[in-house]
Amino acid sequence: MGSGFRVLHLVRPFLSFLPEVQNADRKVPFREKVIYTVISLFIFLVCSQLPLYGIHSTTGADPFYWMRVILASNRGTVMELGITPIVTSGLVMQLLVGSKIIEVDNNVREDRALMNGAQKLLGILIAIGEAVAYVLSGMYGSVSQLGVGNAILIIIQLFFAGIIVICLDELLQKGYGLGSGISLFIATNICENIIWKAFSPTTINSGRGAEFEGAVIALFHLLITRTDKVRALREAFYRQNLPNVTNLLATVLIFLIVIYFQGFRVVLPVRSKNARGQQGSYPIKLFYTSNMPIILQSALVSNVYFISQLLYRKYSGNFFVNLLGKWKDSDYSAGQSIPVGGIAYYITAPSSLADMVANPFHALFYLVFMLSACALFSKTWIEVSGSSARDVAKQLKEQQMVMPGHRESNLQKELNRYIPTAAAFGGMCIGALTVLADFMGAIGSGTGILLAVTIIYQYFETFEKEKASELGFFGF
Amino acid sequence: MARGTSQPQSASSATSRPGVMAPRGSAAATAGMRRRRLGGGSNSSGSVSGGSGPGSNMLRFYTDESPGLKITPTAVLVMSVCFIGFVTALHVFGKLYRAKAGSGV
Repeated sequence: MGSGFRVLHLVRPFLSFLPEVQNADRKVPFREKVIYTVISLFIFLVCSQLPLYGIHSTTGADPFYWMRVILASNRGTVMELGITPIVTSGLVMQLLVGSKIIEVDNNVREDRALMNGAQKLLGILIAIGEAVAYVLSGMYGSVSQLGVGNAILIIIQLFFAGIIVICLDELLQKGYGLGSGISLFIATNICENIIWKAFSPTTINSGRGAEFEGAVIALFHLLITRTDKVRALREAFYRQNLPNVTNLLATVLIFLIVIYFQGFRVVLPVRSKNARGQQGSYPIKLFYTSNMPIILQSALVSNVYFISQLLYRKYSGNFFVNLLGKWKDSDYSAGQSIPVGGIAYYITAPSSLADMVANPFHALFYLVFMLSACALFSKTWIEVSGSSARDVAKQLKEQQMVMPGHRESNLQKELNRYIPTAAAFGGMCIGALTVLADFMGAIGSGTGILLAVTIIYQYFETFEKEKASELGFFGF
Repeated sequence: MARGTSQPQSASSATSRPGVMAPRGSAAATAGMRRRRLGGGSNSSGSVSGGSGPGSNMLRFYTDESPGLKITPTAVLVMSVCFIGFVTALHVFGKLYRAKAGSGV
């Protein structure tokens, strides 16, 4: 325990400098929560459209293209870092605690405070580090081009944006808003993407005259302007270079399927030992680990992409580098590379059904990879995050709950029958749905949609709970 | 007691859940409260101390009070708006400055 505590205590001198949102001293009414949430969301949206001041260019390859979906970041805007600092610091701390490098006793108040402080401090440090790295690596043009003053200004802007995201997230979590900032921002980003792809009024000249980018708008535009209506319809449904109506329908379908599956659960009845007649239930959901497997899986994949892309640009002749991945500039969007060979290619979703038929091995490998990765990550996550059968049993015991008809010592065994299965199988289902979404060409990538739907579903549950609790208060 | 297989049951049990706890006697209401505290799995669930939902742990950080620079929620929002204003002002001044420099040269 000794060394772990020392690490945590290093944070103590910084605690008084960390910004900290006051705890709500009263119960914030539902209406007010909604207002806070909406305002935070609005700030986030403005920030993710507002360009950074002082940047020279954002052209050139974007090595983080694949991570942007899950990190709610927008290139060249104030939200360039998005929620990266929070998520990274959260992941790091979770892993440190889960692997017992840092020991935190959740029952000690000071420990929890230090842990939170450490997480926030790490988040702020990561924000600064990333901002400096971005500027120095020449993402916005080389430093000599920018000038030192502008470079510092950019770093300051990114740093402040990081702090604002941290504060907004804390504000929402402390009970002033609904849910957590992170999931809200991810979901918003993805939904925005989907809506934009469906209704975007931008026109792109693809050689056959100007075409609208948005699928729905393009459908009407093509139907009205073309004389051959059947061909116009086919064009709107199957065009390859821009979002088409099939993609949109696939997205909607995936939304519905995921929501349907969210309801699947095993309900274990539990009973309080102290107060007689207090019955409760402990639901174990099919999606026990919710969207964590895909977050972890996409974090893994994007890291592979990132490394592979960097290596390929430097040493494209090397056999091992080629084995890891070969890259080619995309024809459709500038500054975005797509993998065309190596491992990176095989862990990328086939771009369409036709592509899948052409390369069945690729599709098969991708499927196997996704399913096994998601199941594995899901199993690992319950151990790391403290939601394995052992932890749940301990938690139930602390709350003096027992399962009727089972001995107290049997609780863990009983939970063990369900939780690992739910985790692995649920992870696999999530993986399968992601693959399905990718194969059908749903807008915003399978990962993105799965994330968005699970988050939205959680929000829906929160709404229900809020409503129920308001009613409960009247009942008292 | 649930003799369910490891295959989860259908959604029928789920739909009945949230509504049950509404306006009953106080005993039932407390049971509802208890149940709500137990109900795990969602990121944004109520005040679970240890974090019962797997996803919840990573996405819920600042649940407890810690000694720090206290700011009110309104201050956070005002701060964010000020930041947005500041960046916008930078853009505006940058444009003006560049225009002036351009005409000077």
